[in-house]
Amino acid sequence: MRRDKVIALAAKYVFLGLLSIIVLIPIYYLVVTTFKTSIEAAVSPMGLPSRIDFSAYIDAFVKMQYPRALKNTMIITACSVTGLIIVTSMCGYVLNRKAKYKAAHVVFLLILSGMMFPYQMSILGLYKVVQQLNMMNTLWGVILIDIAIHLPLATFLIKSFVSTIPIELEEAARIDGCGIFKTFWKITFPLMKPTIATVAILDTLTIWNDFMGPLYFLQSRENDVILQEVYRNVGQFATDWTSLFPMMVLGVLPLIIFYLFMQRYIIGGVMSGSVKG
Amino acid sequence: MNRRLKLKSNLPYVLMALPAVFLFLVFFIIPLVYTGRYSFYNWTNYSPEISFNGLENYKAILDDSIVFTGIKNSLIYAFVTVLLQSVIGLPVAVLLNKKFRGRNFFRALFFCPAVLSTLVVGYLWKYLLSASDYGFVNQVLMGMGVEKVNFLGEGKTALAVIILTQVWQWFGWAMVIYLGNLQSISGDLYEAASIDGAGTLKQFWHITLPGLAPAIKLNLINGTIAGLKVFDIVLSMTGGGPVHKTDTILTLMFSKFSEGNYGYASAFGMVFLVVSMIVACIMLGLFGKWERRLGQ
Repeated sequence: MRRDKVIALAAKYVFLGLLSIIVLIPIYYLVVTTFKTSIEAAVSPMGLPSRIDFSAYIDAFVKMQYPRALKNTMIITACSVTGLIIVTSMCGYVLNRKAKYKAAHVVFLLILSGMMFPYQMSILGLYKVVQQLNMMNTLWGVILIDIAIHLPLATFLIKSFVSTIPIELEEAARIDGCGIFKTFWKITFPLMKPTIATVAILDTLTIWNDFMGPLYFLQSRENDVILQEVYRNVGQFATDWTSLFPMMVLGVLPLIIFYLFMQRYIIGGVMSGSVKG
Repeated sequence: MNRRLKLKSNLPYVLMALPAVFLFLVFFIIPLVYTGRYSFYNWTNYSPEISFNGLENYKAILDDSIVFTGIKNSLIYAFVTVLLQSVIGLPVAVLLNKKFRGRNFFRALFFCPAVLSTLVVGYLWKYLLSASDYGFVNQVLMGMGVEKVNFLGEGKTALAVIILTQVWQWFGWAMVIYLGNLQSISGDLYEAASIDGAGTLKQFWHITLPGLAPAIKLNLINGTIAGLKVFDIVLSMTGGGPVHKTDTILTLMFSKFSEGNYGYASAFGMVFLVVSMIVACIMLGLFGKWERRLGQ
């Protein structure tokens, strides 16, 4: 019996170890190739680079106009996620507390339909709307779109979480003379922290990595995001192909850093965000 | 009077729900209505006038054989990717559910690719799979005495490797969803089963798998709907080529959009709507059946 257990444990480590190698090889390749010449990378793709030289990164940084693209990506992600939290926390709260009204039910079903249908199918209509609102090529346009398309899941998560917050707390605050708005922001909103963290984490990942939205709605270069710079530069043919790798690294670096620090919360967020959905 | 009073007291709640509802209407519902409308119009980048042209756009879509390739590719991609992600993600989650040394490290590592941008993942694998001298995968194959494969040069292998890269990137996400669900399966069930003499495999089949029904449903339905939207990975790995063989619904829509054929692209959006509705109905129907069987 003991021997069986040892063998089982060994088999488990071997399997997980092999899977780890499969996961790690491409990531390792992505990083080491940034320090190699094209010839060096062709001869020994998995070997360690002969020298560590960051000049390729500096070139990539300049070519991608990195500070500007990073700033745009950060503005879009930060504003979208903040806006999303503000509007969905209020809406989810109302839809839960006022669920007995028919109007609340209708609104809930309408918003829920957004979870079943990808917004991409109506992107041409969206294009027209953004044009009519004079928001083409503005960060605002993309921010409002991001809020709208991520709103269904967030509202859903918040609405179901509000059920776990005892209504007595709000009633007590109301008796003490707190208005409806004040009660919400002072009493209920702080208690929503866990689900708001989930929404913030899930949507930071998706909005930061969204490529299609900016591709359609941010066509001028001064407004574009990091991924569009990757697309613009890496998509082109290059004989000196290893010089493209620093751009790819710069494209994923901000979120990787975010992941290194927040790893536990991100995994936790995906876990709790999904099981309820 | 009473009614009015009620409305007045509810006004703050209406105001609180309003911003979300307003944004959803303007940027989700109205675009959908517009797309439906313009799918019947001759709306292009070159004609200043937008005119009604009936079913012309739809006719053009039906006449275009590439359209069917695109729909077929999106469907194959969605189903196969989602299935493989769960086939790998579920057992790995079961392995990583019990406490042991290195558990958190493996979890963090397997989830890591999901944080990377899909566009970058596509470019990365394009180089790894390249048929040029520097392609690492082909170097390994040739080292093993197998002939070089031009993975991205042929429609079938190109779609296959596109799917595999996405399994590589997202199985960790599926794994995390299964892990979340596993925590809610009571340990008592396993205890009772092992007292009754049920082995590990039997326990997996009769306790773990039915217990994971919610996560399986979530992963497969969400994954399939997300899979139909496949775009970034195709754009970066093949650009839809060779000769449209890996085009998907959204890459075709984007090229029609880039050409300035807005009306045609709108009609394409409507086709996409119908396809995703059919797929969603089939999935929900299948899971309804499965859940009823579990309930019995």
